[in-house]
Amino acid sequence: MTRKRVVRTAGIVAVFLLFVLPAALMILGSLRDPTLIPERGMDLVPEYLTFDNYRNLSAFVPIWTFMRNSLVVVALAVPVTVLVASWAGFAIARATPRVRRALIGVSLAALMVPIMLVWVPRFVLFKWLGLLDSPWPLIAPALMATSPFYVLLFALVYSRIPRSLYEAAEIDGMSPLTIWRKVAFPLARPAAFAVAVLAFVWHWSNFFDPLIYLSTTERFTLPLGLKGLSTLEPRLYPLLLAGAVVATAPALLAFLVSQRAFFRRTLEV
Amino acid sequence: MKKLFALSMAVLLLSGCASEDGDGSSDGSADSIEFQVSGDPEEIVVYRSLVGDFEKSHEDIDVKLIDVADKDDHLAKLSTAFTGGNPPDVFLVNFREYSQFVVRDALEPVEPHLESMNIDTADYYEPPLEAFTFAGELQCMPQNISSLVVYYNKSLFKKAGVAAPPDEWSWEDFRSTAVELTSGDVRGVGIEPSIIRLAPFVWTNGGEIVDDPDAPTRFTFDDPAAREALEFIVGLVRDDQAVPTEQEVTAAEDLETMFATGNLGMLLSSRRDTPEFREITSLKWDVAPLPQESVPAGILHSDAYCVAAGSDNQEAALEFISYATGEKGQTITALGGRTVPSRMSVAQSGAFLNPAESPSRSQVFLDAIPNIRRTPVIPTWPEIEDVAEEILTRAFYEDGYTIDDAINDLEEQTSSLFEEGSSAAE
Repeated sequence: MTRKRVVRTAGIVAVFLLFVLPAALMILGSLRDPTLIPERGMDLVPEYLTFDNYRNLSAFVPIWTFMRNSLVVVALAVPVTVLVASWAGFAIARATPRVRRALIGVSLAALMVPIMLVWVPRFVLFKWLGLLDSPWPLIAPALMATSPFYVLLFALVYSRIPRSLYEAAEIDGMSPLTIWRKVAFPLARPAAFAVAVLAFVWHWSNFFDPLIYLSTTERFTLPLGLKGLSTLEPRLYPLLLAGAVVATAPALLAFLVSQRAFFRRTLEV
Repeated sequence: MKKLFALSMAVLLLSGCASEDGDGSSDGSADSIEFQVSGDPEEIVVYRSLVGDFEKSHEDIDVKLIDVADKDDHLAKLSTAFTGGNPPDVFLVNFREYSQFVVRDALEPVEPHLESMNIDTADYYEPPLEAFTFAGELQCMPQNISSLVVYYNKSLFKKAGVAAPPDEWSWEDFRSTAVELTSGDVRGVGIEPSIIRLAPFVWTNGGEIVDDPDAPTRFTFDDPAAREALEFIVGLVRDDQAVPTEQEVTAAEDLETMFATGNLGMLLSSRRDTPEFREITSLKWDVAPLPQESVPAGILHSDAYCVAAGSDNQEAALEFISYATGEKGQTITALGGRTVPSRMSVAQSGAFLNPAESPSRSQVFLDAIPNIRRTPVIPTWPEIEDVAEEILTRAFYEDGYTIDDAINDLEEQTSSLFEEGSSAAE
């Protein structure tokens, strides 16, 4: 028994280290003094640690403005994505077999469209709507559930809920919307959490959309800021790493907070 | 769920006020132009002050600076915007990349407007004007004329007991200097495996890199003079081991960092590295001309301001370019350190030649101008350079990959690109 436990713990520690090491290097690197000549080769723990890089970041790119812009995008796009994907998935799951097959086919086809093909049409569309250089083109994909994959994920989860539950609700005279709200969605919480996390990561790290739709620096999002820092000469990489820490922290925090809420509510641990 | 929505609305409202304000200034007045440029954050600061100074003297024109971090993103954003019908009014682009926009009829040539812009081309160096002339017309207004020089680390020269590079030197002098500097962790010279580094060596040896510089159809490294240049450079890498290995370059991130950290005696580069090296106070460095053989030759590096065809504010756009390439505008960019001004009076002024700032031999950049040459201007040139870089990297570093292999591959792998480029240019 104890031996099994040791192996298990060792395994957990090994996996933990594997994932934590890059993050640790990022944080340590962000504390290096960029005015010192860098060491040749690997120098894991810098001799002098300084927080100046975090203070100086905004002299290079307005990182806090970018952070606010990124937060606006995810604050709108993530809930809308979960809602739309959940509705669309519900519709697919509750459709007649023939319609369901067709809808799944359409979703899969949409999933396979290379993203480059839609850049120009979308650009033209947003120009026509007068929405260029605003956050809306970045949020708009959420109205289409961000990715058909999230729709299919919900469809799969909803179709595994016993048919009898839906039938009982229908006999009770519930409307489809009420069934979704009272029966289906509460049972699909883990899927909703997964989609929320995936959509968060997608929108948070979205680089190309802001690059082509935004032109005012004050409206840029974090990935554009990081790209800007990455073009600094390698000597100034501590600044890039400080930017990376700043960009990673809210994502990590959001995940940790929501993960606790999620486990408490759905798995009751 | 409800809470989440409430939260998101709150965030939106908080930020909403700020972005609303921004809208008014850029869309409201008729004379508002967009100016797109690429560069690292420090370079962008220079353009920001250029725009700021312009707006001070032109209160009726509002310039919105669109800054893009790197060149590939800059070109991708430009392409999408042009295709989508919403290009920036003015953008800065390299002469090796602008012709793809000309052949798509995306540019408004500046030539017919020179008079109204109060520009006399006689005030400017000839090579960049020539490089930006396509289909018989000056397409864009050049801002700089940089050329390839040899950056050198004065401390390492002293330590190795080697004399500083003179104003005239041959390949053999260059080679022996590189070899003498190479010892321990220090390599003699950093050379990128690219066509734009190799080309001036071919030219000074009396060779050509392509069959016809105006309408190229193929690389000509099979020509003896060109081949000799390729052999000379590859010899520095393979036989003399005076050039950093691929691993050394990767470990240091790039050649500039190797030079900045004192691991490289010399570095072939254009003016663009100057601001970076200036920042490192412990580094003592200067620049020297390229070594020359039978025909004096250098290679042009130049960017220019272009106006998008169909710009709503063409007049304001031209006004801005006239200012940016004028006395004051070029002085501001020259003080930034990265550009060699295309306007002669500014290039010969203290803004560029300031002897108190490194490099003290800035005159080297200007002395190279009479013999400067350029790579061909065809729409597929950027792709041709990419292919050539892969081949030259193999020629530098891959075991068993011979000069003959490189010459064959250079011709074979680029022939379709040359064909595509010359048919697009017609």
